[in-house]
Amino acid sequence: MTKRKGIGDGGRTLKQMLEDNRKLLRETGCYAGITQPHVLRDDPVKTELFHSRMMSSLIAGRETCKMVSGSPYVREVAELCMGLYTPEGDSVVQSTGIQVHVRLMGDNITWMIENNYEEDVGISDGDLFLANDPVIAGIHAPDLYDMLPVFWEGELVAWVCTVIMEMDIGAVSPGCMPTTAVERGADGLKFCCEKIGSNDRIRRDFEIKIEISLDLADLFLLDRKGAVAANIRIREEIKNIIGEFGPDYFKQAIRELIEEERRNQIARIKQRTVPGRFRDVVPFEIYMAETPTSWLPAKKDVIRLIPIQMDILPEGRLVLDFDGIGEWGWHSFNPTPKGLYGALSISVVQTFSYDGRANLGSLLPCEIKTPPVDSLFNPSQIKKMATANPWPAAIDVFSLWVGMLGTAFYMRGFREEVFNKVSGAGWQLAGFDQYGAKRPMMMGNTGTFGCGASGCFDGVDTGAWIATMETDTGNWEVYQLFLPEIFMSRMLEPYSVGYGRYRSGLSMPTMDMLHRLTVGIGSGAIGCAHDRIIPNLGLFGGYPGGKRNTFLVRYHNFQDLVSKRLPLIHEIGDPREFKNYKYGDVMYFNYMPPTIEVKDKDLLVVDNTSPGGLGDPVERDPALQKADLDNGLTNLDITRRIYCIEASYDGKAKEWKIDEEATKKLREAKRKERLSRGVPVEEWWQKSRQRLLKKDIDPLLLEMYRSSMKLSQNFTREFKNFWGLSNDFAL
Amino acid sequence: MEYSKQDLKDLYDGKLPWDKIKEIISRPKDDDRFDKYVEILQERMKWPDRILLPIGEHLYIVEKGGERIVKCDCGHEFGDYRRNWKLSALIFVRDTREKLEEIYPGIRCPDPNLCEVREYYCPRCASLLKVESVPVGHPIIFDFLPDIDAFYRDWLGKPLPEEKEYTDMSSQVTMAWRAKRA
Repeated sequence: MTKRKGIGDGGRTLKQMLEDNRKLLRETGCYAGITQPHVLRDDPVKTELFHSRMMSSLIAGRETCKMVSGSPYVREVAELCMGLYTPEGDSVVQSTGIQVHVRLMGDNITWMIENNYEEDVGISDGDLFLANDPVIAGIHAPDLYDMLPVFWEGELVAWVCTVIMEMDIGAVSPGCMPTTAVERGADGLKFCCEKIGSNDRIRRDFEIKIEISLDLADLFLLDRKGAVAANIRIREEIKNIIGEFGPDYFKQAIRELIEEERRNQIARIKQRTVPGRFRDVVPFEIYMAETPTSWLPAKKDVIRLIPIQMDILPEGRLVLDFDGIGEWGWHSFNPTPKGLYGALSISVVQTFSYDGRANLGSLLPCEIKTPPVDSLFNPSQIKKMATANPWPAAIDVFSLWVGMLGTAFYMRGFREEVFNKVSGAGWQLAGFDQYGAKRPMMMGNTGTFGCGASGCFDGVDTGAWIATMETDTGNWEVYQLFLPEIFMSRMLEPYSVGYGRYRSGLSMPTMDMLHRLTVGIGSGAIGCAHDRIIPNLGLFGGYPGGKRNTFLVRYHNFQDLVSKRLPLIHEIGDPREFKNYKYGDVMYFNYMPPTIEVKDKDLLVVDNTSPGGLGDPVERDPALQKADLDNGLTNLDITRRIYCIEASYDGKAKEWKIDEEATKKLREAKRKERLSRGVPVEEWWQKSRQRLLKKDIDPLLLEMYRSSMKLSQNFTREFKNFWGLSNDFAL
Repeated sequence: MEYSKQDLKDLYDGKLPWDKIKEIISRPKDDDRFDKYVEILQERMKWPDRILLPIGEHLYIVEKGGERIVKCDCGHEFGDYRRNWKLSALIFVRDTREKLEEIYPGIRCPDPNLCEVREYYCPRCASLLKVESVPVGHPIIFDFLPDIDAFYRDWLGKPLPEEKEYTDMSSQVTMAWRAKRA
């Protein structure tokens, strides 16, 4: 029996190519064994032309997709991205857009190769593959990956992939990322690298399945058509490029682009950071005890500790270790080890690899140690679980990671590169919309977080949405056509910032009133990570931003309020007073809202806060604070209480004046107060130790520590060492 | 790519105009930044010890008498850099609603049953050196332990004369505290 000829290079199968590639990387430490890159270096001008042609084709494809799509999430938020991959599934070039999926799209290709698709399913020119199962690769199920092979003279020479976030995949209500879903089926439709078409055409039976299964079938199918159109356009341009530059050049050059990026990434790490051990911790809060669920073991409140250790090694590699992380649970918030690379990708692109050359090479020097089995980041039961919401934990972990990098940049003198981001909340709904159609409603308006403070200027207001660098959430008027709601207010919120010598940017609460909605239910979306414990995002004496909130305001009699011209809610105002609004009930959840009934004219408030400030607030330049006062970005309460600056408003000049003498006195008094309030750490340690010995802390936290100790001997040892506890002590 | 010391001083002092900062952000990074950074900081210190690594707004790892210690710009010394400097600081813990609301009023306040916000001050100049928000009962975080010898030897190509073991020695402090108690 003769061996079947493969579709890869030199008649090899893709599987053989994958194995060869991995072996070469293992043996040489260089991608594809390229120890001496030469093709790109021999002719740099040709290299730039080659790269920019490929990049242009991807960006053009992205624009094509936006034109075909009907979803505001694609057209306005533009949460989509295109990538070119090697036959083995390694990222070569990414378009602009969401950079989460640099590696994840390729992991789907690699999975197909490992699972014998070449022989068992068949991979031919014009075949269309679709995936969205995070168990294979991905961060959450609403991200759909459309994959198309590129053939040249019968050989598979590359793949083109598009990722789009969908507003409906048939998940249980409410929304496309149901937070209360705990079982796999609740996620909606899953496509395990399914072949949905051939000869560049989507199969009719696939379309029928979608038309029958989804409320928003039109949007889903238009997105598929947009993705397929984009992929075909890119494929044809890639073939033009191959024709022009030659297949041999193409095959070597795409691999050298990865190897060169790997080397550049190591060089950047060495240029901008410091080797050593960085540590931080995320407490991840999950409150499900009062939430209706389909599976009883899910009904409980838990907090899971996620310790983060980043080691920057002398050879310029980064190693991330989550040893000490607590156990998984029956909820939709468990990321997979592969999914974590999605959060790493977007963080790497925003911190190091922002020159348009990001690809697999950007990630090769970064290793995530496989989290302990049955931890939050590596549940063995993942195939049985919902995977709608792994984002919050991943965002919080990588927000702290960006903070660690900021520390490193600061130490090297690159203070201008310090920044940060944070996770936040949102609402998602289901019900009958203003057109009478029952459907899920994802409110894509969460992109309103202030950016963390820099090392030499204040953070950018509303400038830190993790998913995409395009922090603009788009044209909100379009959403009012799409969703049964009226956009009531967007105002910069002075109390949302993380204070510091440099403050974080201001966040902007969203306030949307339901309008012409019937039979509605709503719940929180995203979020969930830090509801009652604020994240540790202050740098060098700066404070983290405060607690973020989600509210539902039910006006007592909306029509009456309007006719009498009584005040509706348009801003948070004084955070001490917000809940005392007298013309309606302010429902305050203290954590992400469970699934609840929502009614027409209810006001949905998403009150996100910002990451952290940098430096001691009492060292803030009064001129910066004056500018904030003049611009209405802060108030006298914050100015005096936090920054110890005295100021008064000059009505004639219409500006604020700083009282330097009074400021000096306030600041001196603050320093004296610190010296009188502060105690030696040893004194505090002795008291806190006694408290632990008596187990006098909240039961949720006791269980959290026990869960981490169950999975990690190192964590147990370090915890007990720190508190001077005996080996046999149990919390 | 390089910038004048004056430009960098202005950058660190918040005096550089935004368009210049933007240019610095957008352009390739300057290889001599660390040398100039340390020079600028060293010139500003009133003490003579050599700065090996700035580790915060006020804190530096310095070389002093053959030892490497963490030192505040006011002159206060926190001890060996391999022991978490926070253990030698003053601490104020916001662990009640009242104390938390001084910073986070009303709806901004975290839950004091679960969250404590620890502030670390320099015992001499009372600068706020670090704010740490963690679950109640969590050990103090040792934010960063640098591998200084690898940094100077392998990355800067200027090995330091006397190499020190790269190890976390913080537990010596808490063990001593426990011994005192016993």
